[in-house]
Amino acid sequence: MQEFFLKHKKHIISAGIVLLVLVTVIASGKKLNATLLESAIGVVVTPFQDLTTGISSWVDETVTSARSKTDLKEENEDLKNQIAELMEENRRLAMYEEENAKLSSLLKIAQRYPNYESVGAKIIAKDPGVWYDNFIIDKGTSSHISANMVLIAPQGLVGKVLESGATFSKAQSILDSRSSVPAKSVRTGDLGVVKGDYTLSNNGLCKMEYIDGDAEIMVGDEIVTSHLSDIYPEGLAIGKVLEIETDTNGLTKYAVIEPYVDLKHLDTILIIDKNNAPAGKSAAPAAETAETDEEAAEPEESNAGTGVAE
Amino acid sequence: MRIAITALIVFINFILQTTLFPHFAIQGVFPNTALIIVTSYALLRGSKEGALVGIGVGFLMDVFFKTYIGFYTALYLVFGLLFGRSQRNFYRENYILPVIFCTISTVLYQVILYVTGFVFRGEGNILYFLFRLLLPELVYGAVITVPLYRILFGINEWLELKEKYKYRLF
Repeated sequence: MQEFFLKHKKHIISAGIVLLVLVTVIASGKKLNATLLESAIGVVVTPFQDLTTGISSWVDETVTSARSKTDLKEENEDLKNQIAELMEENRRLAMYEEENAKLSSLLKIAQRYPNYESVGAKIIAKDPGVWYDNFIIDKGTSSHISANMVLIAPQGLVGKVLESGATFSKAQSILDSRSSVPAKSVRTGDLGVVKGDYTLSNNGLCKMEYIDGDAEIMVGDEIVTSHLSDIYPEGLAIGKVLEIETDTNGLTKYAVIEPYVDLKHLDTILIIDKNNAPAGKSAAPAAETAETDEEAAEPEESNAGTGVAE
Repeated sequence: MRIAITALIVFINFILQTTLFPHFAIQGVFPNTALIIVTSYALLRGSKEGALVGIGVGFLMDVFFKTYIGFYTALYLVFGLLFGRSQRNFYRENYILPVIFCTISTVLYQVILYVTGFVFRGEGNILYFLFRLLLPELVYGAVITVPLYRILFGINEWLELKEKYKYRLF
């Protein structure tokens, strides 16, 4: 037995390598949840990553908080002013919302931007290489996270879940060169695809490709996800246009996009499930939401006025 | 003993590389310490153990950053095998050779990733790759290799000493 291995060592090693390559080729492109083995390894490894990330962010916070104590007072003052302004604006917008709800219930239009239920998660590890922008988050199938769920931050889109194990999930940010998100410009409605690009991702930028040559897209336009995607819900903010170039073929344009989310310094994210939107809000039947609305004077007409105080 | 300590090194490196080291990146580039460890280990201990360490390192990378198993495992395995072949041919107390070998392995590794991941898909920006990604990584990597190799060398010496006493008759 020993002799057999020694005699055919080279053959065995090369057969092993060929086998691994074959497995890679065959298995690539499949999107499955992590296998039991992967999950088991994840259970062992992720707590350590959690710990190390926790320590480094704690150190970061302590250092910055000691440095910026004097700035805090100023910032506090500013924020108070800002809150006052926002409260004012919020009141105004709440009135608009009420009006909108009334008008759309008159028109019997379904509400366009449903509120998805979201789960919070922490980023605990990042792909160490320069090529790809993947990371690991600390929630998995045990928190009902599965592949192709969408990751967002309060400012906008972050990416999607690639694969999830029991206690962790692999995720891909929109800066990754393998990611592509169908998108459109809010102002002009021009369609395109937001893709990652490794030459831009170091600066936290990405690219919107396949824009029509005649499109009237401009620098500063807001880009959101379009209705053409199975994975991403419509209307999530992605970023704004930084510059526009014509492709070498002269027929299409591409735009460099600056995402609203600071993807290089992100630590917490929200996970939403497109296929699991609460039915009451996405379909907007007037009566259903009105039940939760205690202050609604006319239940039939105001369907989304939950936040309206006065 | 050796197996446990080597596994621990690989494990700690993986944890640090995915969590802490990105904070020390210069212009978004940080040397691939996993590759440096595999190369150094192969230089210190030969093909067989280099390949085993390569499998361990690559497997962890596969589990966490690929949706299928095999790519990194095969890649690091080959690197371990390849660089272990030169184990007998130089004095391992020397620091210049590990730095040169780690530089060669980094170039090979990045070129393979670049060709398989980007050139085949028609996204090759060779100048950006060479000057913006590869060159900084090589310089930074050469600086990191020296202390890393020193640590691995020290651990290896200590282990070899222990193993020697274990099998001594008198």
